[in-house]
Amino acid sequence: MKNILTFLCLALLLISCEDVVEINLAEAQPRLVVDAALQWKKGTTGEEQTIKLSQTRGFFEQEPVTISNANITVTNTNGTTFDFEEQNPGEYITQNFIPEINMDYTLSIEVDNQLYTAKETLKPVVSIDSIQQNNEGGFSGQDIELKAYYTDTADVENYYLFKFFVPFATFPEFAIYDDEFNDGNSIFGLYSNEDLEPGMDIIIENHGVSQAYYNFLNILLAQAGSAGGPFETEPATVRGNIGNSADENELIFGYFSLSEVDEVLYTIEE
Amino acid sequence: MNKKIIRPFILVFTLFITQILFSQGYKLSGKVTDKDGLPIFGATVQIFNPNRGTVSNQNGNYSLQLAKGAHRLKVSYVGFQDIEIELKLTTDKIMDFTLIFKTESLDEVLITDNIEGINIRDPEMSVSKLDASSIKKIPVVFGEVDVIQSLLLLPGVSNAGEGASGFNVRGGSTDQNLILIDDALIYNSSHLFGFFSIFNPDAIKNLKLYKGGIPSNYGGRVSSVLDIQQKTGNSQSLKGEGGIGVISSKLTLEGPIQKDKSSFLISGRGTYAHLFLKLADNQNSAYFYDLNTKLNFNIDDKNSLSFSGYYGSDYVNINDSFTNIYGNAFGILDWRHEFNDDINSKLNFSFSRYNYELDLSIVGFNFQNSISNFDLSYKINHEINSELSLTYGLSSIQYNVDPGKIVPTSVDSGINSRDLDNKYAFDNAAFISVNQSLTDNINVQYGLRVSAFLRMEDETIDIYANDNPLLYDETRDIYLEAQPIDTREGNTSSISESFINFEPRLGISYALDDYTSIKASYNRMVQNLHLLSNTSSPTPFDVWTPSGAYIKPQKLDQYALGFFKDFENLPFTFETELFYKSIANRIDYIDGANLIANDAIERSILNGESRAYGLEFYLKKNTGRLTGWLSYTLSRSEQRTPGRTANEIGVNNGDWYLNGFDKTHDISLTSSYELNPKWQLNANFVLQTGRPVNFPVGQFEFQDLNIPVFEGRNLNRLPSFHRLDISATYTPERQNKNWSRSWNFGLYNVYNRRNAASLNFEQNPTSGQNEAVRFSIFGIVPSVSYNFKF
Repeated sequence: MKNILTFLCLALLLISCEDVVEINLAEAQPRLVVDAALQWKKGTTGEEQTIKLSQTRGFFEQEPVTISNANITVTNTNGTTFDFEEQNPGEYITQNFIPEINMDYTLSIEVDNQLYTAKETLKPVVSIDSIQQNNEGGFSGQDIELKAYYTDTADVENYYLFKFFVPFATFPEFAIYDDEFNDGNSIFGLYSNEDLEPGMDIIIENHGVSQAYYNFLNILLAQAGSAGGPFETEPATVRGNIGNSADENELIFGYFSLSEVDEVLYTIEE
Repeated sequence: MNKKIIRPFILVFTLFITQILFSQGYKLSGKVTDKDGLPIFGATVQIFNPNRGTVSNQNGNYSLQLAKGAHRLKVSYVGFQDIEIELKLTTDKIMDFTLIFKTESLDEVLITDNIEGINIRDPEMSVSKLDASSIKKIPVVFGEVDVIQSLLLLPGVSNAGEGASGFNVRGGSTDQNLILIDDALIYNSSHLFGFFSIFNPDAIKNLKLYKGGIPSNYGGRVSSVLDIQQKTGNSQSLKGEGGIGVISSKLTLEGPIQKDKSSFLISGRGTYAHLFLKLADNQNSAYFYDLNTKLNFNIDDKNSLSFSGYYGSDYVNINDSFTNIYGNAFGILDWRHEFNDDINSKLNFSFSRYNYELDLSIVGFNFQNSISNFDLSYKINHEINSELSLTYGLSSIQYNVDPGKIVPTSVDSGINSRDLDNKYAFDNAAFISVNQSLTDNINVQYGLRVSAFLRMEDETIDIYANDNPLLYDETRDIYLEAQPIDTREGNTSSISESFINFEPRLGISYALDDYTSIKASYNRMVQNLHLLSNTSSPTPFDVWTPSGAYIKPQKLDQYALGFFKDFENLPFTFETELFYKSIANRIDYIDGANLIANDAIERSILNGESRAYGLEFYLKKNTGRLTGWLSYTLSRSEQRTPGRTANEIGVNNGDWYLNGFDKTHDISLTSSYELNPKWQLNANFVLQTGRPVNFPVGQFEFQDLNIPVFEGRNLNRLPSFHRLDISATYTPERQNKNWSRSWNFGLYNVYNRRNAASLNFEQNPTSGQNEAVRFSIFGIVPSVSYNFKF
């Protein structure tokens, strides 16, 4: 229930003030980042998949640092191998991926004479049943609020990642849910923002994720924005599931995951 | 007990036996009361040359063994005018004293002199005493006089910032403070996230904060004891006082139920700022209220019965979608009995409870959680002679922790109902404390507390493989919660774990002369109730957990050494203390632990240790038109949570890391100046090192998000915190003897410094670029309040 801490911070906002300040930051040694969250959108073949390789950089540095000339493959338990070719700097794409629900896949990356591997399972997801719009919602009661309803599968441990793409933000809003308190029930992914307006096109995605990826996202999302706050949780090293077979202590950022995704386009109504 | 503890005790007991054989002289005794005939507890009755004294007990009785001949005697107490007399002792004598309340005796408003002065010979050290009138002089935000804000100005006391609830004593965390009002337990000392404390200054008589050298009649928390005594109602006539302020108002009424025999006091305080929000058509509200009461019955000369009660509640409602209600309540009944002049006792029975409720209608979810206790205690004060007195007793507390109940609140809520098992425990203790004068210059206080904490079985007990609730994944270097392999039914009347601990306490003072002394103390404290929080300052959602199968009692050893000087010819006193504390079994959360409605905390915690050390300076001016104090604390507070085996990383790789409330430098200056009989000016200045936080050392992109990279824990600090507050109190000339009034004008944060409460490193949604956003709470805040007394 990360929402609760958000509410607390917002409560304090009633009387406080925020401003952007300049801070000098130290820089740690660069590390490998693997952005390999493969997605199979319902209703598509899922044959095109992208994996990005980059490096960590200074917090205020705007230009990303990509890594080229790597050899990337993904193999399933049947022995089928999918090769990823570098098409743009740091972006490796395959056109013949075969997604299968609950299939185990292994990622293998050869770069700089090192071999990195990871294993994950492609998790299914239920469809979004409906989207409900409330014009007097959100924290202040005056914002447009969207609830994307879905029906959780009973008696199975399920984890979900919702992404909300809106025209006024350069990156989507993430929300993760488990089914601990609502197994088998109809429940919703929630999004609200004061900048939502009628006529805007919103893309809502529901990704089925594994428990390991859910735990990873939990820590990752907590790092993104709560540091230094009075209710901050302690920062953690966000270890993903990718390891270097030769050096088990090497820290590699990012994650290899596979999700079935349900995508819905919604236009904000009056 | 092991040998190391026994040997000093054998030494001291031998000295004790030799002392009993050497009492002589005559006895001077009597009763100290105020103008209304109410006994004054804690008045100092002292003689000079040699400088020696005693303190009046709960019934106002004092007794001194003095040599034959002439003596100069002084009787004093906080807020009252001193009495000084010359007397000649040729036989046992009874002498009663009536003290006059300072501000009533003259038309002018005088500064209280020598209120919380040092007692040079008393082995008591590491103690701060404040009375209600000093607390009321300190300017604070919104003009709301506040007990905790006053305590923060003392050396060794700080908090994690504006908006942080609770307080930290000598590098200890907020759950390590034993907070008592009239001996009843309080679990959360703050209102509204720490902006206000729950203590209504008009209902308080005085308070004592023990930062170390804690006598054995106190136990249960390791860092400090905040012992607050409420006022007893006036048994002669009806009186009242109150105030109307910008944010809140308060009213206190006291008077006799039966003249001279019994009295009542009732005090209420409430905020109403939320009403202004309603006028502005804003749906949000946040308010709190407190109700304090005390009934006192003097049954006869030797018996009195009193009842104290408190009920307070905070209510925060954001647009009806988020409702948070929480508060403390207690009731305590005590019976004081005086066997004779030398022996008196107190029996008390109390019930205390803290509960909170969270309602998120946006999700359709209601969560409730509470902790409550019953407490039965008996204490005897036994004065053997003027050089030796004892305090001994027993206490038993029964705890009931209800970790939570979750219910769906609407048909389409999607939440399943859950009721977490209650946890029960008994905290029993026996204690003895001895106060002894070994020589004219050496005084000791020593004692032992034996505590037995019994944790009862839960209704449902989880069974883990290998009895291990916390797993470690070596390949990924992360901790994981273990899932129980089985559960069994427990019997809540059976003891699951018992923790028996011996807590020795020792304090010595050596007076170099009548005005200078050196003191040293050692205490061992044990804590069995832990407030788990994985944020740097507690939130109302943090859960109290009793020691049990996977959580061991915290054990603290504190050593302190101090130097005390009462300047003979200058109106100053000076104290400096050096302290070192080490605490075993300090638990900490693994990274990413889930707190809300977590029934099985043992799956997310690791055992560790913590320590704190520092140097405190305290210079105080007690008399004259200008009074106040300067305090400086240099300290460090850190903890270490290693992995359980060499392969585990623990927290921060098993290295020491700073606690979230650590402040290297903490300077406070407070002053009060009597410009003339009508105007009193007050000012405060605080300067502190920023608290430890984590700055990112890099970033990377994942799924379109910029993620900051952190290394280590608490390696950076927020910018320094400093602030100046001023206020002025205007007391117009009294036209009516029965009604006095005053106005207070205040300005908080005079130069409008934007002190950073936090620094968030985040990605700007519009530009997509990273930035550091400073979040600060109070800028300059003016205030006005009107106070009256009748």
